[in-house]
Amino acid sequence: MAASTSRPLEYLEGLPGTTFYKLYQQPSTALAIFRRMLPDLAKCFVMALLYLKDPLPTADLELWVRSESKKQRDNAISILARLHILSKTRTGDNVLAYMVTNPFASSLRQALVGSEDSQSFGVFSQISGESQVSIADLDDYARQQWEGVMGYMVGTSAFSGQRELNLSKGVKQLLQAGHLVEIRGSRVDITKDGFGFVLQDVNTQVWHILILYVESAEAIGMDSVEVLSFLFLLSSLELGQSYEKKHLTSNQLRTLADLADFGIVYQDTPEATRFYPTRLATTLTSDSSALNNPITGSLTGPAGDSGGSGSGFIIVETNYRLYAYTSSPLQISLISLFTNLKYRFPNLVTGKITRQSVRRAIEIGITAEQIISYLHSHAHPQLRKHNAGHATSNTGGIPPSVLPPTVTDQIRLWQLERDRLRATAGFLFKDFTSLAEYQSPCQYAAEIGVLVWKSDKKRMFFVTRHEQVAAFLRSRNQQ
Amino acid sequence: MNSVDASEHYDLGTTDLAPSLLTIVFDTNPHAWAALNQSLPLSNAVANLLVFINAHLACNYANEVAVVASHSQKAAWLYPSQHETPSTTTADRDGDVAMNGSAPAQTNKYRPFRIVEEQVTKNLKDLMDSTSSGDLRGNTSTMLAGALTLALSHINRRTIAWAEEHGGADLEDAAAEGGGSGGGTGSGAGRHSAANEDERLQSRILIVSVSGSSDSAHQYIPVMNGIFACQRLQIPIDVCKISGDAVFLQQACDATKGVYMALSEPRGLLQYLMMAFLPDQRSRRHLVLPTRVDVDFRAACFCHRRVVDVGYVCSICLSIFCEPPPNNECLTCGTSLDIGDFGGKPALIPRKRKKKKRVNGTSAAGTPMSTPTPGP
Repeated sequence: MAASTSRPLEYLEGLPGTTFYKLYQQPSTALAIFRRMLPDLAKCFVMALLYLKDPLPTADLELWVRSESKKQRDNAISILARLHILSKTRTGDNVLAYMVTNPFASSLRQALVGSEDSQSFGVFSQISGESQVSIADLDDYARQQWEGVMGYMVGTSAFSGQRELNLSKGVKQLLQAGHLVEIRGSRVDITKDGFGFVLQDVNTQVWHILILYVESAEAIGMDSVEVLSFLFLLSSLELGQSYEKKHLTSNQLRTLADLADFGIVYQDTPEATRFYPTRLATTLTSDSSALNNPITGSLTGPAGDSGGSGSGFIIVETNYRLYAYTSSPLQISLISLFTNLKYRFPNLVTGKITRQSVRRAIEIGITAEQIISYLHSHAHPQLRKHNAGHATSNTGGIPPSVLPPTVTDQIRLWQLERDRLRATAGFLFKDFTSLAEYQSPCQYAAEIGVLVWKSDKKRMFFVTRHEQVAAFLRSRNQQ
Repeated sequence: MNSVDASEHYDLGTTDLAPSLLTIVFDTNPHAWAALNQSLPLSNAVANLLVFINAHLACNYANEVAVVASHSQKAAWLYPSQHETPSTTTADRDGDVAMNGSAPAQTNKYRPFRIVEEQVTKNLKDLMDSTSSGDLRGNTSTMLAGALTLALSHINRRTIAWAEEHGGADLEDAAAEGGGSGGGTGSGAGRHSAANEDERLQSRILIVSVSGSSDSAHQYIPVMNGIFACQRLQIPIDVCKISGDAVFLQQACDATKGVYMALSEPRGLLQYLMMAFLPDQRSRRHLVLPTRVDVDFRAACFCHRRVVDVGYVCSICLSIFCEPPPNNECLTCGTSLDIGDFGGKPALIPRKRKKKKRVNGTSAAGTPMSTPTPGP
């Protein structure tokens, strides 16, 4: 969860307090932030405090949490403070106390009990449904659009030729503005960030794109708060239902049209009076675990037909062989980034993860962590099942890992092979006239712990900080 | 190189956190609620409970909830509805428009919250409507055992289904093994869940109880069986006791490491629920939870369903009786028991007066010696 929440969280934390104040006016936003951004313990705190009349003294909160879990508590409280959800006040008898801040608290309460007149959770379209779009169609549309974006970045369209989607200019500009691709003339080159991006799971990718979108929205004169709260509204809509557009503001309509290019929402024509959220939108507030469910998984996995069997399609064996049950050119080209592919069958590609292939990937800017998390999030159910079966015989305390530990360790080691140089900024002392003159400051530097390297023969040493050593030298010279 | 050590690569697996399934057993015993009407009317309690359910659903996208009513003559599902499966599609919408009369009501509420709310209130109303005065006359208790069993079977079904979807499919094995090994399952079940606690569906049961203990004593055996099943499956039973005091529920919490709270102020039900009962198993590891220290371990006898402090226990099958069974034959296993002079007072061996006096006379330090310790 940490990996996937971090990006939207970081972005939100950077916003000024007044933006939060405006954001939290909407119940759907409060709910989405509560659900998506907070760790478990923080959720407990918020809910416990939500219906308390008086602020809860800090001492009481500390008593409530076990002393062993101090770290988790502090983490939860700091996240809550950074998102302007929890604030410290003083009660009547001057005791420090926590309370949930107001626009957030009232909005969350409204979300829980239902409010009077806000249209925070969307307005159903009342047109009765011969022309309803089915969920399967929406999934198809979302997958097609999203893979189109991915394919554009990786450049699969060049060799598969089949998915020359008409990506809108806005999409391309957004990808470029986010430094995910570089456009040189007619050629599209994926960047290091771009590689990292395509290897993430879909939910993280969607968030990444949306944050980019919000950032760029400000540049073209849209209110970021309005866009953000519209995104959170989308996340609380229901899949397979159509919603009225007439209640939306002009900026929101503009956002809607842009999001349709990514497959996050669907509309029959740009002029249609209603829109459908796709699964990409409705699962926004789920965390990464919910993405493993078969339906969303089919977005990443082989198209449609085997979607019911589970999300993953990659099997990694302890001998570094990799089997991927997919026919998607996008997935195959992703896998080929860090694997030597050997055979290709109609629904299966096999290959081997080798030192060469991993180094090749690392050279173009993919990290070992990205490879491992990609393999992990697309692991075949068989792999998970196998792992769970062994879990009982596993030594206690260590949670089992889905991928063979030998493989993950080796991929990390292959990356470390390249990290043989480490740069340390610092200061070199040299040209000492005598050995004694060299020795005492060197010893002093070692004592205060700034010494990095020394050579008695050359009478040189290297330190990270020079102030104290210089002062030491000066005081010696004065003597 | 230090960054590759033994622990690091295991962290990745733990990031996938399983959602939790909360099953609420709601005691709808009309007698008890009628008695409570002054302090906490049923409608308020249901409203509070619905907010609590929404809070639970709000915590995670994939969280699930189920509500069982433990009524006076039967246990019934409140959510999810068992009969009308297409309720979430157009049929529901039509029904909804008919009931509310106005469509905009739909927009003010997060859709999953609304579905739960509608179904629970509708099913509860149906349940109340179907209760005749005849049902109530002879019966003041609540069908706790049946509700608990329904909850357990639902949890089991969802757990298996979830495990299948997510590939962590050892639950059937775990259940099979737990059942098969019979007597010594305590350690076996513990070992299973300790290995992949975070990967399976996190289930727990919350019993909102209003009926007193004497009413449910006749269900002692099925309730205890349910509790032991929960213990084996590592499902905590939380009890929110609004009125009365059910002896067995204290034992249920104690056995399954759940939360027990008897509300001193029923009006504050929502706050109690939010603070004590909302955290799921993962959060509970970090929290100090209210439990009962002095658990009432009394049992109900098998012959008259009376709650007894001291009783007779069959030496073969451990059945409990409040008085010697007729013909000195155990009612459960049929063993003929040699009860001997059960009515007689236990023989008291008079203490030697001399010695005691001497001890008292010397010093207080000698007093611990005066308690007789049984020999080996």
